[in-house]
Amino acid sequence: MTDATTMAQSASMKQPEGLRTKLPSGWGTAATVAAAWIVLIVASGIHRPDFLSHQTVLAVSFTMAIVGILAVAQALVGMSGAILDLSQPTALILSAAVVAWLLERGVPVPVVAIAGILVGAAWGLANATIIVFGKLNPIIVTLATNFIGGAVMFLIFQNAQAPLKSGFSDFGRTYFLGLPNIWWPMVALVLLAGYLVPRTRYGRHMIAVGGNRFAAQARGISLRKTRFAVFGISGAIVGAAGILFAASNGPFAPAVGSTYQLPVIAGVILAGVSLAGGRGSIWLILLSVGFLSTVPTSLVFFGFSSNWQAVFQGLILIVAVAIDGFRAKRLQR
Amino acid sequence: MRMTLRRTLATMTPVLLALAMAGATTGPAAAFKLGMAVGGDTCCDWMKAQGDVAAALAKQRGWDYMELSNNADAATATKNADLFIQGKVDAVIEFNGQPSVNPVLAAKFAAAKIPVVTYDISQKGFYFVGIDNLAAGIAGGQALGEIAKAKWNCQPDLVLSSEGAGAGIVNTWRTGGMRTGLQKVCPDIPADKYISFEGNGQAVVSLPAARDVLAAHPDAKKILVVGLNDGGVLGALQAAEQLGRADDIIGWGQDGSFITGNNVDPHLAGSVFYFLEGYAVYAMRDVIDKIAAGSPPAVKDDAGDPASRVQPCPVSAAEAAKIPGTADRVAALLKAPAGTTEYDLFCPKKS
Amino acid sequence: MTVETSTTNTSGFDRQRLRDLATGSVTSIAVTLIAVIVVGLTWIGPNFLQASNITIIGTFVAVPMLVAAFAGFALLGGVVDLSIGSMVGFSSCLCATLLGWGWPLGAAIPVTLVACVAFGAVNATAVVIFGADTIAATLGMLVALRGVCYLMAQPSGSLAAFDANFYAFTNLTVGPLPLLFVIALVVIIIAAFIVTRTRLGRHVQAAGGDDRAATRAGISVTRVRFGALLLSALGAGIGGVLYVGQLGSASNLTGTGLEFQVYAAMMIGGYSILRGGVGNPIGAALGLLVVAGTSNILDVQAISPYFTNIIVGLLLLAAVLLDRLRGGDAYE
Repeated sequence: MTDATTMAQSASMKQPEGLRTKLPSGWGTAATVAAAWIVLIVASGIHRPDFLSHQTVLAVSFTMAIVGILAVAQALVGMSGAILDLSQPTALILSAAVVAWLLERGVPVPVVAIAGILVGAAWGLANATIIVFGKLNPIIVTLATNFIGGAVMFLIFQNAQAPLKSGFSDFGRTYFLGLPNIWWPMVALVLLAGYLVPRTRYGRHMIAVGGNRFAAQARGISLRKTRFAVFGISGAIVGAAGILFAASNGPFAPAVGSTYQLPVIAGVILAGVSLAGGRGSIWLILLSVGFLSTVPTSLVFFGFSSNWQAVFQGLILIVAVAIDGFRAKRLQR
Repeated sequence: MRMTLRRTLATMTPVLLALAMAGATTGPAAAFKLGMAVGGDTCCDWMKAQGDVAAALAKQRGWDYMELSNNADAATATKNADLFIQGKVDAVIEFNGQPSVNPVLAAKFAAAKIPVVTYDISQKGFYFVGIDNLAAGIAGGQALGEIAKAKWNCQPDLVLSSEGAGAGIVNTWRTGGMRTGLQKVCPDIPADKYISFEGNGQAVVSLPAARDVLAAHPDAKKILVVGLNDGGVLGALQAAEQLGRADDIIGWGQDGSFITGNNVDPHLAGSVFYFLEGYAVYAMRDVIDKIAAGSPPAVKDDAGDPASRVQPCPVSAAEAAKIPGTADRVAALLKAPAGTTEYDLFCPKKS
Repeated sequence: MTVETSTTNTSGFDRQRLRDLATGSVTSIAVTLIAVIVVGLTWIGPNFLQASNITIIGTFVAVPMLVAAFAGFALLGGVVDLSIGSMVGFSSCLCATLLGWGWPLGAAIPVTLVACVAFGAVNATAVVIFGADTIAATLGMLVALRGVCYLMAQPSGSLAAFDANFYAFTNLTVGPLPLLFVIALVVIIIAAFIVTRTRLGRHVQAAGGDDRAATRAGISVTRVRFGALLLSALGAGIGGVLYVGQLGSASNLTGTGLEFQVYAAMMIGGYSILRGGVGNPIGAALGLLVVAGTSNILDVQAISPYFTNIIVGLLLLAAVLLDRLRGGDAYE
């Protein structure tokens, strides 16, 4: 399976014998997460048979939609060795606010969609400019831009919302083949990104840079261009998430994007994307985000109050990464 | 590297001293100085607007004005109190979303002999300006109950409560109050039909939480929604719409944030306006103008017997259609004659 | 002096080089702090350094500084503890609850600290023994402990716990400096001493800088990192307890965002989030002072609080840029 995991091996040149020991680890993570998910579903189904219903599927998939797209964007950043983009919350709301603003003024939806994506891409490129020319760590840069962007947005608007009585908002709450309209673009994106990354030149460059950037540079890959490409594309993806977010959410305040930050980071890490770069499979995001999106719903079915849900969500994440880490450790031995 | 540090310090010290001496200024006899600590929670436009209105009214009176943000954080609220005291303000308006620390603030301000007006959250020794949140909650719950009685004979399948535990006691009053009001009109709704979830008072957070709750109650068709504020209630309404369960869902909000304009959710039957952004008019009229004139009124710190009572204004969605949005309300308020409140200007039916 | 980033440090842990590195980053943040003081004095005048203002700044950074001193060991050792904010909240809520039940301070505090270290042990077990990703695991603890805070603070969201002696103690001042600030500063200096001049400190730096080289040199990376995470939890626990004293209460939101305050300050002070082995606690303290000083200038000048965030964000970028220009961590 030519996924990103194997690509990282050829790029990093650290462990030439790694193919056989590393290849299963992508599968190992998939197996762990899939097993956890299945256990969760079965346990919930046994406790309450009506858990296995269309309503539950809808609830979970609505949550998956936005988180999944953001996770793809975050995974690209992580795999390229830029660790984390902490400015996703601001970029998401920025794009969504622009979308809402344009729709209010009657701009047609296709134009609005392009605008949303471009806004996201512009944000990503702005981050990349600071990172590349300042030679600064992406974590601190995106932390700062998130802060600054959020504060600037709050001065301009405190709440925004796409027009409710529009085809756009209808799209956000209706279904296609029994699943939410907004869920399908997420799946398409995951499949497409997962397919393209190891197979295109840019994707392979990105992973090479993430795995060992000095070796990549030695091979003639431009670090600068790669960084700009990664943040630009990742930003465009966040912009797309912003469009779907605006379609499916009510009034949103500038700071509210932060509710997605923890689920996205958790989803990315649980998908086996190494934040140090060079490793990870985007397709696994479907599993990890799916699992993590099912947890809150399950907990409600088990009768836990919201506060207890938070406690168990946190514990489940700890256990999940502990199991994953243990499995990876055993493989290394 | 240490040499460089020492050298840097050596060169900077005379510069610092020079600047320190050059920067000393003494101003003329100071005008009345008003300090305001805004709530600082980025959820809501009225929190920022509260500061804007206070600033404008202070400017109209030719006062000095110092605004700080409590950032929804107790340590920051304490720091702000010290800053106000150091800044020698003559009076302070507090919107402190973390009232657990109010006793400490009260002690500090009392020692500095600075009178304090508090919005909505009572503290012994602070002038209370605001609504009785519990009464407002009950009023909203009763209004919703009347609808449930008329439509469903007081037999909903589910009563959702969108809580905002971060708001502390205000959440208990408003959301709990709405349940109390509902129970007054429809006392026979069984307790297990009341389900609470944490929505943080925001539609975006309320939405997924309500989705899960609705999925866990797949047979509920007739649904009532109460909550901390309009945003929290809206999230639940949208969740029902997304799950295709919105045929018989009715919500009643609090604070009127999202019931004006032409983008109102059709399932939001009404809300309760407090016109939070305009509180400063009450504060000035009944407390601070008097302090500035040299005759401070008696301290009334209880919500039941307040220094200045703000009237809540329950409205149905139809009535709310005539009320302008926050920005327009603020503009109109600042142009109105002194002492006119937003309740006077905008509440459709006054009691 | 440029520092290479993710490639392995072939010379292992060179004492002189590491010390220079640490001092170097401290120099740059010290310069930034001096710049902030200069701006404050120019703009506000000598009142910027008046006793009451120093007390205000000192009071605000005291607890974060203390937490940073302990959390710094974890960063240095190559693990990140993102749960410190929620741990502070949990500690506050637990201590306040116990005090509310009538427990004497002498019993409430140790029990609270033990509970925090127990949760720290959960972090440590997951990250070090099981090999869980440190960011994800401590993120999980962040979420879980915040839920516990909400549970403990039900129903009103706040827990009153005013102990007159405790309050008086936490608000004592030594001249213009709050006692807590002095204590936090002393802890920072002790931590800096440990990091730069003791074998333990070298071991932690080694474990964080290159765990393989460290293991080859006989250092138990497992033990170092386990201890560092326990220490981080302990520090957060102490911080939470002190908050109960300072604020006479705890709430379900106590400590929210503290991890951002602490880690942003540490990053501009020379630590690295994903690379262990670099950083000096003094840098963290100076970083906190830089941010607090800037906020203070803006507060005293009554700049709209909404602009404060923008300026602090720009300051973060400027400070990291300055650190990079003097030869610090260059990210390619």
